[in-house]
Amino acid sequence: MKQRRVAIVGVGYSQVGRNTGLSERHHAAQAAVAALDDAGLKPTDIDGASTWGGDAIDFAHMLGMQPLRWHLNVGISPAFIQPAMHAAMAVADGHADTVMSFRIMMQQPSSAQLSSGKAELGQPSMSDASFMMPYGDFSPTQWAGMLMTRYMHESDATEDHFADFAVAQREYAMKNENALQRSPLSKDDYLSAPFISKPVRLLDCDYPCDSGSAVIFTTEERARDLKKPAVFVETSALAATSDMNFELLPDMAHTAVFQCADNLWASTDITPADVDCAQLYDGFSVITFQWLEALKLCEAGQAGPFVAAGNTRLGGAMPTNTDGGACNVGRRHGANFCIEAVHQLRGESGERQVSDAEVAVWANGFGPFAGAMLLSTR
Amino acid sequence: MDHVSPPKPMSEDLTAPFWEGANQGRLLIQRCQQCGRYIHLPRPVCSNCLSFDLSFEQVSGRATLYSYTITYRAFHPYYVDKVPYVLASVDLIEQPKLRFLTRLVDIAEADLKIGMDLVVDFQELEPGFAVPLFKSNHSHPAAGAS
Repeated sequence: MKQRRVAIVGVGYSQVGRNTGLSERHHAAQAAVAALDDAGLKPTDIDGASTWGGDAIDFAHMLGMQPLRWHLNVGISPAFIQPAMHAAMAVADGHADTVMSFRIMMQQPSSAQLSSGKAELGQPSMSDASFMMPYGDFSPTQWAGMLMTRYMHESDATEDHFADFAVAQREYAMKNENALQRSPLSKDDYLSAPFISKPVRLLDCDYPCDSGSAVIFTTEERARDLKKPAVFVETSALAATSDMNFELLPDMAHTAVFQCADNLWASTDITPADVDCAQLYDGFSVITFQWLEALKLCEAGQAGPFVAAGNTRLGGAMPTNTDGGACNVGRRHGANFCIEAVHQLRGESGERQVSDAEVAVWANGFGPFAGAMLLSTR
Repeated sequence: MDHVSPPKPMSEDLTAPFWEGANQGRLLIQRCQQCGRYIHLPRPVCSNCLSFDLSFEQVSGRATLYSYTITYRAFHPYYVDKVPYVLASVDLIEQPKLRFLTRLVDIAEADLKIGMDLVVDFQELEPGFAVPLFKSNHSHPAAGAS
């Protein structure tokens, strides 16, 4: 089958916020309407849907996107990259012409709710929890703590570098009116924030909220006729290197993001030197550090000093997480990085715009699995 | 405070032998009877030789520290009065990267060192439910960080 070049033509968010009281369907509907409006498309133009969170068929039916030629519900996966990549592949292959891809994320119970017994985490579907929970292992924050300990042991990163990172991200968020956290942040604020699972502090974590995000992929030909400049999917890559037990990863300092990055660069003539901005998943800040190294945007083991030297700031060598990152815009599970990359490449990022941005990489996942996508306007 | 039970493992064919061993003070790890590979977490098949002939065997209980985190927030009622505690990923010495999740006990934070020698310490969290935790193995000082 002849592969078609694929473009992103519409992006949108729901009313993102803390415990919004809105349902998953409501977030999906708001995000979908925003993305359709952004693209100048109507629901019947959509003939494919993919999601993590909720059900793609349900959302499409609710929104009048009928009939569908392609659909996909994604389970546990490296965040938004999975429904996004499959949407792009479906369009490239001709299984669908225009696909809407969702990530619907509902805020999880807090530590206070869980420890008071008023709420429980979702029950695991496989038996490995039997070797985790009896030791007091419940939360991704704890896995991140172990990964961060080992990463700091093997690299040059220090807690001071993570403080620099938090400050750099907040500086972008202060330039983003859609960020949930916009007040000034100092390194002392970071260092005095409580540990959740040491070395992970509160400000190393993404910010819990309800969110809906949607992105539309279509062919180059259709993209040329729509109202916004086309942002093309240059290439994308996945990697999975272990099962889902982050706690037992064979190499916590070099997780699947490294294999994924190698796969990405092997699939394109674009090189790390061509990248104008990077949008790198920050569910925990150590994740962004590993992506910076893996994608060869800095030297091996040097993400900490690279951040501390200001390279990820606006005007730096590699502006990174220019919407402020999920620690500031709220947990949109990587969809924010896809959408921010689109905004940057369209020149729509306002005060935080990277000048002449033509190539952006966005990346999701960490630990056992990872995915990345390269976008360009060239 | 009302008695709160610790979180317990589900009782399944693949997990029961391990937890029965723990109650007897024995650390049992699944091992392939064809190629000799230790397997943890327990699986129905050996990833090395694809044999289904697997059984549980006692190991030495010695390990080295691969990584750790000090958990300050409770994510379950049982742990409310137990934070902070040290969750750790350790390598059992029987095989390279025979990675095992556990909790460390009786080690001061300043003494936590990646690569340090550890030894199993079974602790009964409630009657009839023992878990293999790990403590510093003073008789086998660490040879150096791994």
